[in-house]
Amino acid sequence: MHTIFQKRKVVQVVLLAIALCLTFSWSPKASVMAQEDLPRLVYIYPGGAQEDLALVQEAMSAYMAERIGATIELRPIEWGAYNDQIGLINASGEPYDIAFTAPWINNYYTNVTEEYFIPLDDLLAEYAPNYWASMTPETWEAARVGGSIYGAINQQIFVKPFGPYIRTDILEAVGLVEEFEALTSYEDLAPILAAVQEYADQDDVLTQATYNLAPLNVAENWGYDPIAVDLVVDTTDATAQVQIYSQTEAYRTASQLIRDWYLAGYAPSDVAVWDEMDAAWTAGLYAVRVSDIVKPGGNAEVAARWGWEVTSVAIAEPVLTTAGVIATLNGVSYTSEHPELAVAFLELLNSDPVFYNMLSKGLEGVHWEWADQDAKLIRPANGAASFADTGYNPNTDWMFGNVFNAYYTDVTQVGAWEATAELNRNARPSPILGFTFDGSAVETELASVSAVLQEFGNPLGSGLVDVDEGIARLQEELQNAGIEVVRAEMQRQIDEWLAAKAE
Amino acid sequence: MSHTSNLRELRRQDTDRVMSFLGRFSVHIALIIFSLCCLTPLLLIISASFTDEIALTRNGYSLIPSQFSTEAYDLIFKNPRAILQSYAITIFITVVGTTIAVTIMSLLAYALSRKEFVLRKPLSFFVFFTMLFNGGIVPYYILMTQYLRVQDTIFALLLPYFVVVFYVLILRTYFAALPEELFDAARVDGAGEWRIFFSIVLPLAKPALATIGLFTALNYWNDWTTSLYFIRDSNLYPLQYLLYIIQSNAQAMQLQSAVGNITVGEVPTQTARMAMAVLATGPAALFFLFFQRYLIRGVTLGSFK
Repeated sequence: MHTIFQKRKVVQVVLLAIALCLTFSWSPKASVMAQEDLPRLVYIYPGGAQEDLALVQEAMSAYMAERIGATIELRPIEWGAYNDQIGLINASGEPYDIAFTAPWINNYYTNVTEEYFIPLDDLLAEYAPNYWASMTPETWEAARVGGSIYGAINQQIFVKPFGPYIRTDILEAVGLVEEFEALTSYEDLAPILAAVQEYADQDDVLTQATYNLAPLNVAENWGYDPIAVDLVVDTTDATAQVQIYSQTEAYRTASQLIRDWYLAGYAPSDVAVWDEMDAAWTAGLYAVRVSDIVKPGGNAEVAARWGWEVTSVAIAEPVLTTAGVIATLNGVSYTSEHPELAVAFLELLNSDPVFYNMLSKGLEGVHWEWADQDAKLIRPANGAASFADTGYNPNTDWMFGNVFNAYYTDVTQVGAWEATAELNRNARPSPILGFTFDGSAVETELASVSAVLQEFGNPLGSGLVDVDEGIARLQEELQNAGIEVVRAEMQRQIDEWLAAKAE
Repeated sequence: MSHTSNLRELRRQDTDRVMSFLGRFSVHIALIIFSLCCLTPLLLIISASFTDEIALTRNGYSLIPSQFSTEAYDLIFKNPRAILQSYAITIFITVVGTTIAVTIMSLLAYALSRKEFVLRKPLSFFVFFTMLFNGGIVPYYILMTQYLRVQDTIFALLLPYFVVVFYVLILRTYFAALPEELFDAARVDGAGEWRIFFSIVLPLAKPALATIGLFTALNYWNDWTTSLYFIRDSNLYPLQYLLYIIQSNAQAMQLQSAVGNITVGEVPTQTARMAMAVLATGPAALFFLFFQRYLIRGVTLGSFK
């Protein structure tokens, strides 16, 4: 019975897909080759199982077949298995065409060093002209490793305008809405935290103002571009002198704020693991995230995730850094038989909103329908309560291409893409945008420095130790661990890189 | 025997008794502490799975639920397809896999144990060589995916444990210890090799087979790495892999939030994860209790000549 049911479902899927292809075809061409004869591209990316994946795949294939003469096979791999599986696929030479990559998952730099990805410079210029032109040459610089671009950048928020988030209901209860919205520095957050803490002391559910003060200490908060371990470059310094971040005045200020706030009892003494903090935030135990990325439309995302309406304000000045630009990439495999078609596929994903939204939002009428077509606002199709109930909701727009082409799912997000693009455009580029540090010559020192930061830096980030003593101790240990060796090597590489760029 | 020596004898017995009581007492204390160390985490998980989500976050873990709730189980049983499906997969691979594996391994071990078998030496070398040297994970992956082409099928989950060399070694030693005269007698009575194996060797080797069967079954039951490498189809997730994926997906989510992306609602609540863990381990624990006596007998297997 089960199989019969499945067969019928497959037939349904195919029929629906065909019907949809017809609706989606804008410029049907007369001579369309049979889809089976066309090359089939394989796209591998992290994501959970989606009930209607086959349906979306069929629709995308039909759309692509007409435009670039290829079809697609979508191959999502569970988040938790992605690194292992893609690593084996690469190492074993199993053929595929495109894979999601980033410095934080399916490591981009490893893929480049191991030559698992092919250089894309010429291919992008020839087969993806619109995509290539959609970003400035400086932006593309960030994806360059050893002179070539190996990863296609997904356009999204590149800058990290950090700032505090606060639950709107609590903010209103303490009556400091105007004060919060006028914040320009973290120091001024203190009276608001104090008021929230006072409120929390009388409230049953809310236990403390905030739960994790460590993000205050993030280098991007204070105008530095972090390169590796504790080493940073001041983004206003055109000569790009490498500094030890924990020696800067900014680090001391941040650590002092953390220490003061910790002693005032605004945050718990034991810093919980991430998923517990997550649960705690959902449960409503805390009201403030002291420092997180404040982006246009971000409040709606936070509200959807943790179930609380929030207000946020950006404090850190947005800076364009390498890490920010290449946070999400797609690479083309060395095993690809049709790299030019793979790049043409990326062109479609990044410049054709209809195609891109098929992959990221599903199909019109099946998974979503227009709530307001002019505003590009959609809602779950056929009266479904949420997009999660529609059978296709990967919810990872930023993985597939230019998010500025994504349809909005929440009315408060409308206009967020324009605002984000504006932020990216106006951000000051870091003097080392596009530089990547090769740590292979100083691996031992890097490992010791990381260990020291864990042991002596983390307590400062949680406010557990006295600032003066803590920083002095940290500096001593960092020197012993050989941070100067790393700094010298990094400065040498940066100087060479700057010299090469100047030529 | 004089009165005094009798008394001395009695006193000596008394001291012996006290000493042996003290010895036993301290051993028991040590074992009780050890069992508590093993049991407490399990009890914490069970307790957490029956705790209200908010209460758990606020009060932390405790041996007795701070606020009793079956919400986590309600949530899982509202859509139990994933867990039932993976139970079915796990039970299938455990039963079928163990049966096939024990059959193959005992046949192989028996052949290797018979001195008159011509290819005994080369075959032994072929089998035991792999115990010391193997190609590593990438060749294994290539073999499974490009030659055998079993990725994303149930065979990928079954194949890896069909022959575990160490178990073959145990079985071979056991078979070799059976008296040669038995086989001669059987042969005189007109039994062929198959008859000898099935009617004489196997019944005599029951404890060894049960032990190997248990080990193999546990291997199948607990295996999640095979799925991590070869399984993408969520209909084929065994239980342990389902648990692994739920946990590790939560960790991967943390990575993406670090770059400013927020993916909405895929991470189950803490209590739901605990309830999943209870549902996944509970039956396995019972299974273990049931087979325990074989296991204990199996441990002594190492002590034969």
